[in-house]
Amino acid sequence: MLSHLIIGASGLYLGDMLFIAISFIILMAVIAKVAWNPITKMMGDRADKIANDIDSAQKSRQEASDLADQRREALSHSRQEASDIVSDAKQSGEQQRATIVSDAQNEAAQYKQNARKDIEQERQDALKNVQSDVADISVQIASKIIKKQLDPEGQQALINSYIEGLGKHES
Amino acid sequence: MGDPVPTVKFLGLTFNIANDISIVITCLIVFLFVFLLSRHIALKPKGGQNVLEWLIEFTNGIVKGSIKGNDAGRFGLYAFTLFLFIFVANQLGLFIHVQVGDYTYVKSPTADPIVTLTLSFMTVALAHAAGVQKQGMKGYLKSYTSPFLVFLPINIFEQFTDFLTLGLRLFGNIFAGEMLLGKVASLATGGSGWFSYVYAFPIEFLWQGFSVFIGSVQAFVFVTLTSVYISQKVSTEE
Repeated sequence: MLSHLIIGASGLYLGDMLFIAISFIILMAVIAKVAWNPITKMMGDRADKIANDIDSAQKSRQEASDLADQRREALSHSRQEASDIVSDAKQSGEQQRATIVSDAQNEAAQYKQNARKDIEQERQDALKNVQSDVADISVQIASKIIKKQLDPEGQQALINSYIEGLGKHES
Repeated sequence: MGDPVPTVKFLGLTFNIANDISIVITCLIVFLFVFLLSRHIALKPKGGQNVLEWLIEFTNGIVKGSIKGNDAGRFGLYAFTLFLFIFVANQLGLFIHVQVGDYTYVKSPTADPIVTLTLSFMTVALAHAAGVQKQGMKGYLKSYTSPFLVFLPINIFEQFTDFLTLGLRLFGNIFAGEMLLGKVASLATGGSGWFSYVYAFPIEFLWQGFSVFIGSVQAFVFVTLTSVYISQKVSTEE
């Protein structure tokens, strides 16, 4: 069996060696063309794609967390703003109320003062009227007294008439 | 396992027809296996592509286990083809044995030392070529005198032992497996009537299973040692 191993006995089977080597190389070339190159290329592509996917996933996660932070900040901001607005409104309402009340008070005081002035004026007018009336009546009385002074009857009558007139005037 | 071998002389070279037929069959099986599994290659693998990718990862893992850095990628295809070829060649003789007359025409091609030593020679040649390419002729020659000049004969001798052990280990394992398989088979046919089949069958069955295991392990060992030898030549001495 092993006799063909001995060089010279039946010749080293160089033909076999060549045949093996060549068929192996052909097999290698065919496998490279049919399977090895496309599959290793695809595996490389897949590795790239996975790496890219991981990168982009990381990026999107970062973006999402950034956005969430922004939203949170905006929310707290708007909450602050809302409370500011409410307190502003409260303050301005308070202020308005105060001004309205003080205006009303001023106005009322003004009215009161005017009324008081009017009353005073009226009183003065009335007093003046009375004074002129008194003067008139005094003058009339005096003239009537002077007219009836000559005779006593006449004077009596005058006094009576005067008294009557006074009573009439009074009633 | 007929002792005489069918030979043909062509252009002054001697061809062993049995070996050549077995090799062609092995190549065809490997090719068909790879070809059929690589028909629909997609980014999202399924079915056959998964099997092929698993095999490629497996052989790449063997190569990367010993060859460091970027050099590993260049030997992936060689390791892949070598592994599939030796694996199929080892199993071929376990299932098919075509004998015509005195001659066995189809058997495990790796049960012949010529075949295994040729594969071993290819590996060693590739290793030396890669060493020269990587380190330059000067660095390549210098590696024989490392660590000291005294080691020169040992280092030269080692090249031959590497070559011989790599080829003969594979040959020995497969040849012994086939030999014993044949002996067990003759135990059944040459025994005393039908009773010999009864006890020969489980032995044959067991030994066939064990041979499949050995064939797979030897394919793995061959590829592993191939990458080790290449890495020895490629790696620059520190």
